[in-house]
Amino acid sequence: MGIIGCTDLNEQVLDETLSPSGTSAKQAADGAIAPVYGRLYDLFNHTNYFALQEISTDEAILPYRGGTDWGDNGIYIAMHQHTYTSSDPNIRSTWTFINQGIAKALVAISALPAIDDESAKVYLAEARGMKAFYSMLSLDLFGLVFTKGNVNDVSTILRGAEAVEYIKADLLAAEADLDPNAGPGRLTPAAVWGLLARLHLNAAVYADRYATSFNFAGDDMDKVISYTEKIIQSGKYQLSNDYFAVFGNNNHDNKELIFAIDQRFDIAGSHNRLAYFSISGDQWPLANYPNANGTDGPAITPDFYRTWTDAYGATDPANADPRFYKQNLAIYSDPTATCVSADNYNINRGILRGQQYGLVKQNGAFVKCGDGTYQMAKLFNVSRNKPTLPVDFTLDVNYSTFSNHNNGYRVEKYEFGKNSDTGRNKGDADIIILRLADVHLMHAEAKLRKGDAGTALQDVNTVRAARTLTTAAPALTSMNLDLLLRERGFELYWEMHRRTDMIRFGKYESTWTEKTNSDVRKRIFPIPQTAIDAASNIPGYLVQNEGY
Amino acid sequence: MKKIYELFQERKLLSPLRRSYFILSVLVVLAGFNGANAYAQNKTVSGKITDEVGEPLPGVNVIEKGTTNGTVSDADGNYKLSVASSESVLVFSFVGTVSQQITVGSQSEITVKLSSDASTLSEVVVMGYGTQEKKDVTGSVASVKSEDFNKGIINSPEQLLQGKVAGVNVVSASGEPGGNQAITIRGPGGVRTGSTPLFVVDGMALDNTSTSGGGVNPLNFLNPKDIASIDVLKDASATAIYGSRGANGVVLITTRRGKAGSSSITYSTDFGLSKMARPIDVFTGDEFRQNVVAAGGLLDDQGANTDWQKEVSRTALTQNHNISFGGGADKLTYYASLGMQDQEGILKNSNMKRYSGRVNVTQKALNDRLSIDLNLNATNTVNERPPIESVIGGALSMNPTYPAYDDNGDPAFLNLVTPLVELKLNKDITTIDRAIGNISPSFEIIKGLVYKLNFGVDNSNSVRDIESLPSLQPARIGRIESVYKHNSNSLIENYITYTKSFGEHSLTAMIGQSYQKFYIQERGYSINNFAISDVEPRNNPSLGSSLTLTDNRPTASTIKNELQSFFGRATYEWKNKYLATATFRADGSTKFGDNNKYGYFPSFSVGWRLSEEEFIKSLPFSNLKLRAGWGQTGNQDLPEKKTQASFNSSTAAGSTYPLYTGPYPAGTTFTRLANPDLQWEVSTQTDVGLDFGFLDGALSGSVDYFSKKTNNILLRLLATADPVQVATETWTNLKDMTVTNSGLELALNYQFKSTSDFRYNVGGNITFISNKVEDSPYTVIPSGTATGSGLTSATINGYVNGEPIGTFYLKEFTGFDANGQSTYADNDGDGVVTDKDRIAAGTALPKKMYNFYASVAYKGFDLTANFNGVSGNKVYDNTANANFYKLRVKNNLNATDEAIANPEESATNPASVSTRYLKDAAFLRLNNLSLGYNFNTTSLKINNWVKAIRLSVTGQNLFVITKYDGYDPEVNTERTLDNASSYGIDYLSYPKAKSVVFGLNVTF
Repeated sequence: MGIIGCTDLNEQVLDETLSPSGTSAKQAADGAIAPVYGRLYDLFNHTNYFALQEISTDEAILPYRGGTDWGDNGIYIAMHQHTYTSSDPNIRSTWTFINQGIAKALVAISALPAIDDESAKVYLAEARGMKAFYSMLSLDLFGLVFTKGNVNDVSTILRGAEAVEYIKADLLAAEADLDPNAGPGRLTPAAVWGLLARLHLNAAVYADRYATSFNFAGDDMDKVISYTEKIIQSGKYQLSNDYFAVFGNNNHDNKELIFAIDQRFDIAGSHNRLAYFSISGDQWPLANYPNANGTDGPAITPDFYRTWTDAYGATDPANADPRFYKQNLAIYSDPTATCVSADNYNINRGILRGQQYGLVKQNGAFVKCGDGTYQMAKLFNVSRNKPTLPVDFTLDVNYSTFSNHNNGYRVEKYEFGKNSDTGRNKGDADIIILRLADVHLMHAEAKLRKGDAGTALQDVNTVRAARTLTTAAPALTSMNLDLLLRERGFELYWEMHRRTDMIRFGKYESTWTEKTNSDVRKRIFPIPQTAIDAASNIPGYLVQNEGY
Repeated sequence: MKKIYELFQERKLLSPLRRSYFILSVLVVLAGFNGANAYAQNKTVSGKITDEVGEPLPGVNVIEKGTTNGTVSDADGNYKLSVASSESVLVFSFVGTVSQQITVGSQSEITVKLSSDASTLSEVVVMGYGTQEKKDVTGSVASVKSEDFNKGIINSPEQLLQGKVAGVNVVSASGEPGGNQAITIRGPGGVRTGSTPLFVVDGMALDNTSTSGGGVNPLNFLNPKDIASIDVLKDASATAIYGSRGANGVVLITTRRGKAGSSSITYSTDFGLSKMARPIDVFTGDEFRQNVVAAGGLLDDQGANTDWQKEVSRTALTQNHNISFGGGADKLTYYASLGMQDQEGILKNSNMKRYSGRVNVTQKALNDRLSIDLNLNATNTVNERPPIESVIGGALSMNPTYPAYDDNGDPAFLNLVTPLVELKLNKDITTIDRAIGNISPSFEIIKGLVYKLNFGVDNSNSVRDIESLPSLQPARIGRIESVYKHNSNSLIENYITYTKSFGEHSLTAMIGQSYQKFYIQERGYSINNFAISDVEPRNNPSLGSSLTLTDNRPTASTIKNELQSFFGRATYEWKNKYLATATFRADGSTKFGDNNKYGYFPSFSVGWRLSEEEFIKSLPFSNLKLRAGWGQTGNQDLPEKKTQASFNSSTAAGSTYPLYTGPYPAGTTFTRLANPDLQWEVSTQTDVGLDFGFLDGALSGSVDYFSKKTNNILLRLLATADPVQVATETWTNLKDMTVTNSGLELALNYQFKSTSDFRYNVGGNITFISNKVEDSPYTVIPSGTATGSGLTSATINGYVNGEPIGTFYLKEFTGFDANGQSTYADNDGDGVVTDKDRIAAGTALPKKMYNFYASVAYKGFDLTANFNGVSGNKVYDNTANANFYKLRVKNNLNATDEAIANPEESATNPASVSTRYLKDAAFLRLNNLSLGYNFNTTSLKINNWVKAIRLSVTGQNLFVITKYDGYDPEVNTERTLDNASSYGIDYLSYPKAKSVVFGLNVTF
């Protein structure tokens, strides 16, 4: 009689894959492990892990510049002053990325055993090791880890020594099947040894977080010594004679790297944030890209700068220690070197002080010399609408008088990615998680904590002596914990170790530029309030850290 | 004719619009043809038409039955008409009266007295799948006729309804032309988005999905002038016939149809002038110079005094032209229209242009047993948007000492991007073509048994071009992104209705089946890097020189879903006093889980017409009816595919990683886990109502109590208890959680009837409503993401137990400490202020909504005023939170007095999200004030040409009384967080306009 449409109401999905069919076993195996590592890019950017590990310390400070930039409702000030709260967006996204990383590792662990490909066994070990790595970050930052056997279970929450044991077990289980030649972009046995050394080094902190002084157990220190020695004696790794090459765009093949995030400009996720974050918005590091600049982010604190001047006395640290500074532009020492070809244009590296020089932009294009080379000149804060204010980095930086765009010495440790057209993304330099110098310094620390200052001094001087491309830093003559922490600062500044180091050395409650808070409960971050709210349907499941 | 022409001439506004003269001339010619009737006319009848008290009635239609021959009574109620013969029958009809038919016979003068349609009881109400006389309705239904609609510049049917129906809350997202209107009937029932009622146009159920991405309300396609009436089904006994789509109420829109035996052509035109109603009072250049210094800042003074809000806005012109004609003979009736509305927004580069055409035809055959309705509507909408947030944000905070223009008259750059530069460099243009057609033949099989088929198709295609123009200063590389969207909705319904009366019993039964399919596809492409030239990127995207997967990955989605339903209704009436209705619908949907394919939605209601009882008849009631109903409805407005697991295999950021040398692997991630148990939300609603009329219907009204409880709340979990989740998306029904809306609705109308030329009418409605969330397993379900530097992670709304939806869940601002830093209440007393100290600080949902109106008429003049207001609600001023604090002033950013109101506040104090920026949103608005004059075409001696001429002037939003110091307290900037709706947030919203609209309406 009429027209009747009839249907069994089975949903037809047109734009999503409901099963990963049609892929080869190799593709399935690759597809399982890639996201486990892929999560690292976002986690290790300027506003996430970097902000939590560096801006909270004496190495970095980010004021509300000129009252127009990096105000962000005070979150970077709170991070530095240890007044961070459970609603901090950077803490929240760091938390989220870490737990996503664990989840992706769990998915890979459940999928890989069923995949019939020779790579599956190695990947399974990597997934397990990465689960441990993400968990280690969670324990270090938030004081807890989530663990579960099956991806669909509700995780058990572990804290303290229990969490350390859990992470250790996963790392040890991963070790045997890892490919020693897969690094530095993927986990290798040496990377796992390094992470185990780091875990044992901090185990005392994790076991008794708010202790007045930590009880570093001899067993733990012995483990640190044996794991670091295993790496050093493997012969696979070598300290770089050029310190800044370790952070260069071609650092993937640098033999100092043990474990790093493999960055390639053409892979989605790869970023240049660590090179772009600190330098001026009127600094243009690439002749080919007139939109690639910096952002006037964090500076080092004057207190951190003084650790260098105190160490080297009358000698300018730039001349005393190759890790402090590397001049790439001749105009800094030769005022007539005003024309540079695009290929030879590289901004200076390390800690940048004083008037900055470089490409200047006029009407949207860089000013050229007559012969096709580019004009080098003094930089001004043109893009900040302060065209008479020079880009002249000054030592003083704080939240009141010295919070303009030019305040504070800046850091250009990683090389600015040559393909980063906007300066933000498309980075090339691998972001280092573990390198040989850190291994030597961990060895030194374990020896020192066991009372062997002589070996510790030797280790530190080994690292100092290795940078032979220019004059290496002079050897130290004595060693103690304060000097070792200072040395870690010189070697590893802005490499996202500082907060963990300061806590372990008992300095996180000290006073430094714009920071006086001495609450030990700030040694771990608050669990994001959104996570607490989301868990409120299971009473007692997720308990907020003390003091938040 | 000459006079009309002169009238046009006097209207300076018209002068640039030559087209209107052309249209007018065409109409005149058409009218001429109509007048030159080839019909044999050999008898003339004249007479006077009065109302029941003998007062002359102008404007009554007098039609010779079965022909198109007819006239309209003049101002004195006189008419004159030539008819074919003495057998001719004259039909006299007038709104609000009972029509009369009189056979001419030997009379040459027929005087008619039209009696008023007793308290409009015989008014027909459109139900789902049928109509019912209002007196027989047992559910809570409100009907608004076109003459009662809001007037002026109207883009969508929700605006016609605003304030007109108790229990219906219409909140415009902003003042943007064609922008979204949030309409809720009896309060929102769920957490996630999708509290919009079901809209049904002439039997065609629409899909509420946006037809474009450009912030255009999908209902804009309807030309308001084509709408004859809107019926709002409020309670479950009325909406349960729409089953799983009935929980948010149903709005039935009926468009105009032709009437047999009449013929008319109407041309109407409006010209409106709009300006920003309430600019925000930011500092002038001179105030700024003082305040920056006072706040301790180093003044950056460029010497000018620029009012940036004025620079980005304008006095906007709106023009509207509409031609419609309709009529018909015995078997065929028709209505056709073509409308054009060209609306300038009060912000520069903001325009909304719509062309719409409609043809509605009814053909009868087979001795009138077969009747076929056909409705066709085609609309073309072009919407141009400026970058609203950056323009408004810039206009409010840009240093007023900066000049707006440089020496060449171009927007000045000065290394800061001014809002005028933003306007120049950003465009967002959406074009939507939408066509809806449905055909519904009905056939009377035997007497009382009617079969009806309804087949309809609704298709829309849109293109949105988001364009960033290349520029040297500021340096912009240029980009064009085009998003193509196709929406398709097709419907087939079959139903049979049986009507039978026997003795004192009367029964109507209906059963039917419905199948509806939706298909929505969206694809976006972009390209970057354009050379600076006169060619806009959207006109030739091939000029772009950079196309990479990183920067230009296409966006896409294609979804399809189906609904299959079976439904029935029975209404029974005994002795014309006792009424009962029962409905049932079984709804199946592809969106529901395998375990819950079909939902079942029953309702029952009864009515008692007390005024028909002997014991009431002695009392002064003209109408008294008690109604009570109960029913269950559903909300199936959940997104597609949520019951099924999904993998994502991609080389996007986060999924891929270089494992070795070679192409980067596609990483596999779960986007979603299967949840076959997922189902609709269920609302159970009870309604008790009383309709009454006194004084022979002069005073009438109704009162309703309702309670609507929704459970099985559907939620996308922002985060789960265990943060280690395989899939990024988790959907669930919270079985025990409920949202209850309960309230009281009261509507009253008084019509003064008099024998003089003076008439008036007053009335209004008021709704008291409360909303409560209970038994949520969570301490808070957050929503309403704050916006602004450093505010982005904070949330403003929260769904918490014991509080209404739309609750503001915030830290409680208590003042400033000795250092001038903000302090907040430590409500849990643990010594630190954290998010745990947040309180429920009020709600965005009004506790009271009211509307009142008055109209007076004297001879040809009429004046109508319409007020609406709400109270008990608050608004979060995110604009002030992000812009108006001392630190900004110190840093040479403009602000209002609010920023410097506290001398004790330090200039370094950050503005956190807190109750500090929560403001009272109660308001009373003069929504509509309209003055009209109907010309007496008879005394002007043009009645052979023109049946009626009306001139009107309407003021819209002439004033609003409120404590709120933002643009307007009626605002709803969408800040949905993971599908949980946000409420009452104002962030750089498009300012509301105040308008004056001049209208001309000519009927031939």
